[in-house]
Amino acid sequence: MTLRKWLLVLSLLTPGIGLIVAFIGVAVYIAAAQSFGYYNLAGESSFSLEFWDRMLDRKVFSRAVMYSIYIGVISAFLSVAFAYPLAIWLRKPFPGSLAIGAMLKAPLLVHGLVVAFLFINVISYHGILNQLLQGIGLWDEPHRLQNDRNAIGVLILQTWKNMPFALLLLTGAVQSISDDVLNAARDLGAGSFDRFRKVIAPLTVSAMQAALIIIFIGALADFSFQVIAGPTNRQSLSQLMVFFKDGGRWNDAAVVGVSLMIIAIAGSALLAAVSRIVMRGRIA
Amino acid sequence: MSAQRLNQILLVLLVSLTAIWLIVPFSMAILWSLVDPAEPWTADKLVPPVMSFYRWQDMWENSSLQTALVNSYLLAPSAAIAALALAMPTAFALGRIRFPGREVCKILALLPLIVPPFVTSIFFTSMLYQLGLHTWRFGAILFAHAIVFMPYAIRIMTVSFEQVRSDHIDAARDLGASAWARWKVAYLPALKPGIFASLLIVFIQSIEEFALAFIVGSPDFTTIPTLLYGTLGQDFVRPNAAVLSLILVVPNVILMLILERLLKSANPALSSGKG
Repeated sequence: MTLRKWLLVLSLLTPGIGLIVAFIGVAVYIAAAQSFGYYNLAGESSFSLEFWDRMLDRKVFSRAVMYSIYIGVISAFLSVAFAYPLAIWLRKPFPGSLAIGAMLKAPLLVHGLVVAFLFINVISYHGILNQLLQGIGLWDEPHRLQNDRNAIGVLILQTWKNMPFALLLLTGAVQSISDDVLNAARDLGAGSFDRFRKVIAPLTVSAMQAALIIIFIGALADFSFQVIAGPTNRQSLSQLMVFFKDGGRWNDAAVVGVSLMIIAIAGSALLAAVSRIVMRGRIA
Repeated sequence: MSAQRLNQILLVLLVSLTAIWLIVPFSMAILWSLVDPAEPWTADKLVPPVMSFYRWQDMWENSSLQTALVNSYLLAPSAAIAALALAMPTAFALGRIRFPGREVCKILALLPLIVPPFVTSIFFTSMLYQLGLHTWRFGAILFAHAIVFMPYAIRIMTVSFEQVRSDHIDAARDLGASAWARWKVAYLPALKPGIFASLLIVFIQSIEEFALAFIVGSPDFTTIPTLLYGTLGQDFVRPNAAVLSLILVVPNVILMLILERLLKSANPALSSGKG
């Protein structure tokens, strides 16, 4: 390529990718710098490890890390686990399959905050679920279901919101497997579980990894579901970061933010590796 | 035909499950939004005893709903146009010029989707404070939305540019068309569905965006999601939250349906012919 062409490409990329890299780069850079004591909004700025030191000793921080990882991993697995059988079922069009696909993807259209509201409405103390379970005589009195200690509410919300996304990715992947391959497996005597394990799973592993990772990062960094439906005695990392920022403790917020990004990257790599080993390992 | 039978059973089961899953929560929301304050909806009654549009009217007149609507519906189209304008040159380069590092650039363009939104928001705010620009909240959020949602526009427009047929461009050139005329006859028809899809998807994303609007905009700049968040938080009034939820969800569903139609119509229109 000539110098002239390079200059043309660079000038074309500048307003788009250039701006993106600069914007995200600056945000990440400021987060990293602030976590080490630079860019102090109040007081002196100088290199210091004290913010990391103190944060790592805080119980609230380690609890938030564990809690966010728990939400991220379980939500990603549940969403994919529900989406797989549905994607395989919808692989070949049949009467009504379009309508089902549309209904299953409906949560994609509903805003997370609205989902959270609809959900707490249904599970509230005098809500329809409590009434129903009392009506059929399963419970004697209403139970408090909102903000449950194990964050089951948050997991339900995450799965409800993210399963359609996993379904979208997996449907594409499953549909691209040709009938010949599956018929060949069937002719060779593979049952439906073997066909999944030995043919479908290895061939759709990249779509599954993409779904796992994107859902994991989103759920790991969750704020609104946690605030509205999550346990009150625990904080997610985003919640903790906002808490520090609201108190004007930017350096502490930065430590949490950088940790969140490190966990997102490390966790994604780990999830990708594990799913590849599990799905591909069995082929050998 | 046992597979067909099984499909039918599964179908009925799933449709009824999904219907419950969708219809119950939404009907609850609609009913709650119609509760008249004259008489509360207690647990022993199946439907609210008195129903009226009082809550809708009250929210319209006495909350920041109007400001939030104006903010959201000004912000979203501006962000959509800005994102598209910024994405066009990059999409052209990625779609029509072969250069080393093109695949890396395509991945780099997805960066905003990978970094957690609250990290971006908080440290973007921090940067605004350093620069002393934190007072112009509308501009700051607009700028951030345009960049954060640009990946969608870049992705869609790159595909659109790839699908512009070279023989159309060459034919136009051979017939003596100027650069502008070539753009109009060869590029624009192929790009149109992509342009609409990009505008619509950034619009929807911006209307729904919460983290940036909440962090950069707090305390005095409200959009519909931040207003809903407020109603769900410390001053939780169930009927009011129901009104806001419905206001947020209905236009989006309509827009998404248009988007789906657009994306579907985009394919056959573009892949016809041998390319």
